[in-house]
Amino acid sequence: MQLMQQKENTRNMTTSPVPTDGTESAEHLAGLLSKIAATQCRAAFSELFKYFAPRLLAYGTRQFGNEQIASDLVQETMTNVWHKAHLFKADKGSPATWIFTIARNIRFDFLRKNKHRQNDLSADDLWPILAETNEGLDDDYALDQNILLQQIASYYQQLPDNQRVVIEQIYLEGKSQQEVSDGLGIPLGTVKSRTRLALQKLREMIETHD
Amino acid sequence: MIKFHPSDEMIHQFAAGSLNPALSVVISTHVDMCPHCQKQVLDAEQLMAEQLTKAPKPRLNSHALDAMLEQIMTSQAPAPKASNDDYSNVLNLDGKLFNLPPTLARQQNRIGHWSRVPGKMLRAPIDIGSDECINLIYMDKGSRVPEHTHKGQEVTLVVNGVFNDERDEYTDGDFILMDSSQHHTPETQDEDCLTLAALDAPLHFTSGISRLLNPFSSLFFR
Repeated sequence: MQLMQQKENTRNMTTSPVPTDGTESAEHLAGLLSKIAATQCRAAFSELFKYFAPRLLAYGTRQFGNEQIASDLVQETMTNVWHKAHLFKADKGSPATWIFTIARNIRFDFLRKNKHRQNDLSADDLWPILAETNEGLDDDYALDQNILLQQIASYYQQLPDNQRVVIEQIYLEGKSQQEVSDGLGIPLGTVKSRTRLALQKLREMIETHD
Repeated sequence: MIKFHPSDEMIHQFAAGSLNPALSVVISTHVDMCPHCQKQVLDAEQLMAEQLTKAPKPRLNSHALDAMLEQIMTSQAPAPKASNDDYSNVLNLDGKLFNLPPTLARQQNRIGHWSRVPGKMLRAPIDIGSDECINLIYMDKGSRVPEHTHKGQEVTLVVNGVFNDERDEYTDGDFILMDSSQHHTPETQDEDCLTLAALDAPLHFTSGISRLLNPFSSLFFR
């Protein structure tokens, strides 16, 4: 009770409009997600869970008309939130929207996907919101693009041939990792590890020279 | 410039995850190609998220929820999902290269064997499981599909190229919905065309001998 009151007070002191219908502001929820992403913060997740779990349960119950399935939906959705909070991107939408789309995907698979047929279309094929994406790669790319192309031609020449070829095809020729794998006749995993090693090495070279 | 879009209602159902898989793949591919509909989908998702947070909460067994919370925080991380890097976005059709929108690129491994169909066309099924099937249809220059009608609704999306029928001309990203009351005669002129076609009512076609008797039904209906 004490806690609740404190919270109310803190809120009233802020100047941003506070929703009055018991909903949380997107900023606050986004803050919880980033704490979970950064430090697996249990307190932040507990608060997020207490906010969303009952709402997701209501959604699931409306969708399935069955509380057990609805409860499975809540569990699976929130498990993804716990482990994949780092995939939430505030510039792409609100936390509620992100969590809704995770639940929507799980519902789609509950309704459609036959567990005995692994090849059935899954929600991830339509809405790859939890794909670990090129994220890492994209960020590296954005970060390194200018440097890569303009400043570090010499570093780049110092890479071992097998890494240099992969980097050349991905970053200069714009091929996908799969295409590089096909083209060079090497496993996709090898392309990925060479890319990672090469970027790591380039970064080290930049850091030591700066 | 894309002229033909799915209806607002269809976009909303897509965003809700309520459309069948075949139609969802076609709409998702259109959305990949269409900034306007990307915005529509985001708006719809946002609206549904707001409904989710504002809906009245049910009475809860808080003990069960506490147990669930604890279980989640000690759970193993789910396996990472495949990333887009794992898919090639290039379709090679007898040496002709097509750039596939992301949704279709993710379906590459489901694209079946290409077969010839009457009228200088090729067709490959995309097997997405269940009873539904969608087809990639390649119309060479100067192709013509004899006039036909549909038993249910047929949706066609132009992936790359141009085709026309009696009503209009359709290019990259255009989404065309035909129902059973409409006759049409799709054809290409000086350009070839790759399209994606699906039915939203496939069950009507899983039985019935008419499907076998009508060679052209298999073209668009599977």
